[in-house]
Amino acid sequence: MISRDCAESVSTLCGSETSMPEKILRRVAALTILIAIAAAHAAVPAARAQQQSAAQTVDTYAITNARIHTVSGPVIERGTIVIRDGLISAVGIGTVAPVDARVIDGAGLTIYPGLIDSNTSLGIPATPAPTRGGGGAAGAQTPAISSPNSAQPAGLQPEILAIDFIRPGGDQIEAARNAGITTALSAPREGIFIGQSALINLVGDSPQAMIVRSPVALHVGFTPLRTGGYPASLLGVFSALRQMLLDAGRLREANQIYERNPRGLRRPSQDKSLIALFPALAREMPVVMYADTAREIRRALDLAQEFNLSAIIAGGLESWKVADRLREMNVPVLLSLNFPKRTTAEVPEADPDPLRVMRQRVEAPKTAARLNAARVRFAFQSGSMTSMADFLANANRSIENGLARDEALRAMTIRPAEIFGVANRLGTIEVGKIANLTITRGDIFDKTSRIAHVFIDGRPIDLKPAAATPAAAGAAAAGTGAMASGAWTIKIKSEEGREETATLTLQQEGTRLTGSLQGDLGAAQIAGGSVDASGNMRFTAPVTFGGQTTEAVFTGKITANQMSGTVQTVGRSPATFTGTKPQ
Amino acid sequence: MKKLVALILMLSLSGFALGQRRASEEVETVIRNATILTVSHGTLANSDILIRRGKIAAIGQDLKAAANARVIDASGKYVMPGIIDCHSHAMSDAINELTYSVTSMVRITDVLNPEDEALYRALAGGVTTINILHGSANAIGGQNAVVKIKYGRPIEEFMFPGAMPGIKFALGENPKRTNFPQPPGQRRYPATRMGVEEVIRDAFVRARDYKAAWDDYRAKLRRDKNLIAPRRDLELEPLVEILEGKRLVHAHCYRADEILMLINLADEFGFKIKTFQHVLEGYKVAPEIARHGSGGSLFADNWGYKIEAYDAIPYAAAIMVRAGVNVSINSDSNERMRRLNIDAAKMMKYGGLTEVEALKLITMNPAWQLGVQDRVGSVDVGKDADLAIWNGHPLSVYSRVETTLIDGEIFFDRQQDITRRAELEREAATLKQAEPNRAPAGGTPPARPRESRPAYEQDDDHVDGGNQER
Repeated sequence: MISRDCAESVSTLCGSETSMPEKILRRVAALTILIAIAAAHAAVPAARAQQQSAAQTVDTYAITNARIHTVSGPVIERGTIVIRDGLISAVGIGTVAPVDARVIDGAGLTIYPGLIDSNTSLGIPATPAPTRGGGGAAGAQTPAISSPNSAQPAGLQPEILAIDFIRPGGDQIEAARNAGITTALSAPREGIFIGQSALINLVGDSPQAMIVRSPVALHVGFTPLRTGGYPASLLGVFSALRQMLLDAGRLREANQIYERNPRGLRRPSQDKSLIALFPALAREMPVVMYADTAREIRRALDLAQEFNLSAIIAGGLESWKVADRLREMNVPVLLSLNFPKRTTAEVPEADPDPLRVMRQRVEAPKTAARLNAARVRFAFQSGSMTSMADFLANANRSIENGLARDEALRAMTIRPAEIFGVANRLGTIEVGKIANLTITRGDIFDKTSRIAHVFIDGRPIDLKPAAATPAAAGAAAAGTGAMASGAWTIKIKSEEGREETATLTLQQEGTRLTGSLQGDLGAAQIAGGSVDASGNMRFTAPVTFGGQTTEAVFTGKITANQMSGTVQTVGRSPATFTGTKPQ
Repeated sequence: MKKLVALILMLSLSGFALGQRRASEEVETVIRNATILTVSHGTLANSDILIRRGKIAAIGQDLKAAANARVIDASGKYVMPGIIDCHSHAMSDAINELTYSVTSMVRITDVLNPEDEALYRALAGGVTTINILHGSANAIGGQNAVVKIKYGRPIEEFMFPGAMPGIKFALGENPKRTNFPQPPGQRRYPATRMGVEEVIRDAFVRARDYKAAWDDYRAKLRRDKNLIAPRRDLELEPLVEILEGKRLVHAHCYRADEILMLINLADEFGFKIKTFQHVLEGYKVAPEIARHGSGGSLFADNWGYKIEAYDAIPYAAAIMVRAGVNVSINSDSNERMRRLNIDAAKMMKYGGLTEVEALKLITMNPAWQLGVQDRVGSVDVGKDADLAIWNGHPLSVYSRVETTLIDGEIFFDRQQDITRRAELEREAATLKQAEPNRAPAGGTPPARPRESRPAYEQDDDHVDGGNQER
């Protein structure tokens, strides 16, 4: 591996099209590598550093003989794409792979612009889940993200920037890439004025390297604060939004008056939270508003009209019911592909699902086609889906429900790029654009296809095939019998003999475990879950003992419908747990 | 049981089909041969009502109507004005903003849900207009919404055109939060009735100052252009509107002493309390309420659910009517809202109100209390054609609504409803087969259903029905 990379790097020195300064740079790079190789024998960390720098020096790739969906123009049946220095440097039928390029035989492959997930919290660490049972103040939650020296409470701080919190790497970013996603809009999860999002490429060793554009939009949620402070109801949410927007408008005006002639005027008090709203009030920054039902969307649009905001609706479950107004106001929709479905088991004595709910589930996959017919712009987003394999699977369901394949592809490529103002650098396969590519074996919307390669910023990404497609995920799960999935009743016994009961709901996808823990220990999502072929599993979850929440590590073994193992928490003696799952 | 619940759910959804085409506004409607309880001018036997462009165009016998007029045969049936409920929390996705004692900035209009099934059930009880109020947790609560129940229509069509804006006040145990657990360290001011009065007075002092600051700014602006405007304060603006007589106060209250307190406080600041809501001890101070010019909006017979509700009597409405107070009977409940006719009828038994006086409690009187008396509340030429057609006398427990019209359009029709039940059952069966509605293997059993606002509760009793996650 090391030597081959080296050889290729060195071979680039002979490239005839390389300019002089570039040649010098390359020589320096090559020299560095040679030194690094020497060092590699001395120490393992050094070898790793060397490996990275070697990988970076390969910056030219050519994918030949592939079917290319440029999105900007017609499909190229057998063409070549050349990637150089992170950008698309050539694309076409007659394009010849440069001699310095690493060539990938694209026969049987289809190349698409890198898929964009138009609303996520990727890279932003999760807020601890709310806990139960503590009661009173313990139940009160403060959003994890708070801005220093703000006059506004956490949750009403539009100055929050996603880029200040984004961290590279992590399971979720990896899961998104495995699903073919190269780029995502990312914003914090909590709050009313949530903060300002960033468009990030899902690769890079630093947050700085990931950013494509920041800030992109101001994000607004309509969920009341859970801190116990105002606003604690939907009523107050609207009043708080309105008052802050009014205050910001006044401050902007006051600053102008004061700057013109400060004599005889008290200087306006500078509130950075209000100042952060100026671009939105001037329509220089769009406002992403989270709204799913028709009435939520109408409320958001009313607010946008009241303050002349450039709105974008995120979620959009019932957006088809409001399509006319969305078109008239030219408001795009970041449509969630996390379609609702029934999750509860059949129980004879249970009430049937209400008609309204059943209708909503059936209508959801028809929304995209309806928005398209009504000429409402929309882009797809993952909508916090638990399995990223649903992203393409549910885009497929939109196609089955009447959306043209081309439009489905656009909703994951050029449409979000347009909505976020980056269509000149992302969203299509064109020379000079960022080399983000999603490459499949088979058409991306064929159920048997799988993601073969993903390029982000011109670099190939290691994919974990387990989660590549639903079919593959299913096969991998079958390998371990998908033994973990389902609702487990677990009993946790402490050394002192106390026994707690909880419901552990697990979803197994390959070796990955996701799910939630609910019961005497509080309610929380599990994290870092894994299970191997012989049933050894591990995950962490925040648990609440005696009013205190602490991170617990569960390790154990699953055999058929039984599980057992230990629970470790800091500062406590380990507990044991056993679990059963109804067959 | 399961089937019954399903049927109720379906029934409640059928309203969408019933809202007739708007084109029907151009078609005349004539109700033939009815017993008309006009409320304003007696009972008319075997009479017709002609409806044109949503208004009552004529009342009389053998009225001429256009050839294409829609004819509703009401032989043997009773027509009364659409019922008006002066105290409801239906249609709200949130009820209380619990954080502050003064929340005049919040608006019920921001959180309306036009698809609330309770609305369809209200239509089936002959209700056409409701006053949707903020809850009673705060001394000064949020701004109200007066709507016509145009179920199935976009929200804009619900808003009662020209209705006076209002606001909720609350006195007593609820604003002082006596009966509700408070998180430690979050005890809210005020905790006594004295404090409630002080909070309201303080708010109006601030509102007066706020108005003065704006008046001052506007005056100075004529001479000096280099001025920064005062801050617009959404909390104080509605209070200024109260001081200017542009917003009606609907005050939740129980005890006689606090009713007098609020009258004095309103006199001090020069505004009127339009209605005292619940006003369980209002019968003790009925002349004072009448002198202040306030209305009273009562329960028929609901009491004893907390200390301040112990002194209620079923004769209260009649006593207050005799003292010259404008009295209405309200529901404050999605369940009682469907049978306000029965609650009105009780007032003939307790205190001996006449039939017309009883009907006024749920029609003309609440219309006045909401400032819409020129539009609705009686069957009179020129008024909105908001009508309920009953198969018997509406003050009888054996009667039920056949058809409910608002602005001349049918929003509930019993025959259509019955016809549609089978259709909805078929739809439900089809939907159930659809993949997203099929039960997954290994899914968890469904959570026990919990009504967001149980019917037997009123806003006094639930800590915050609207803030629960739905």
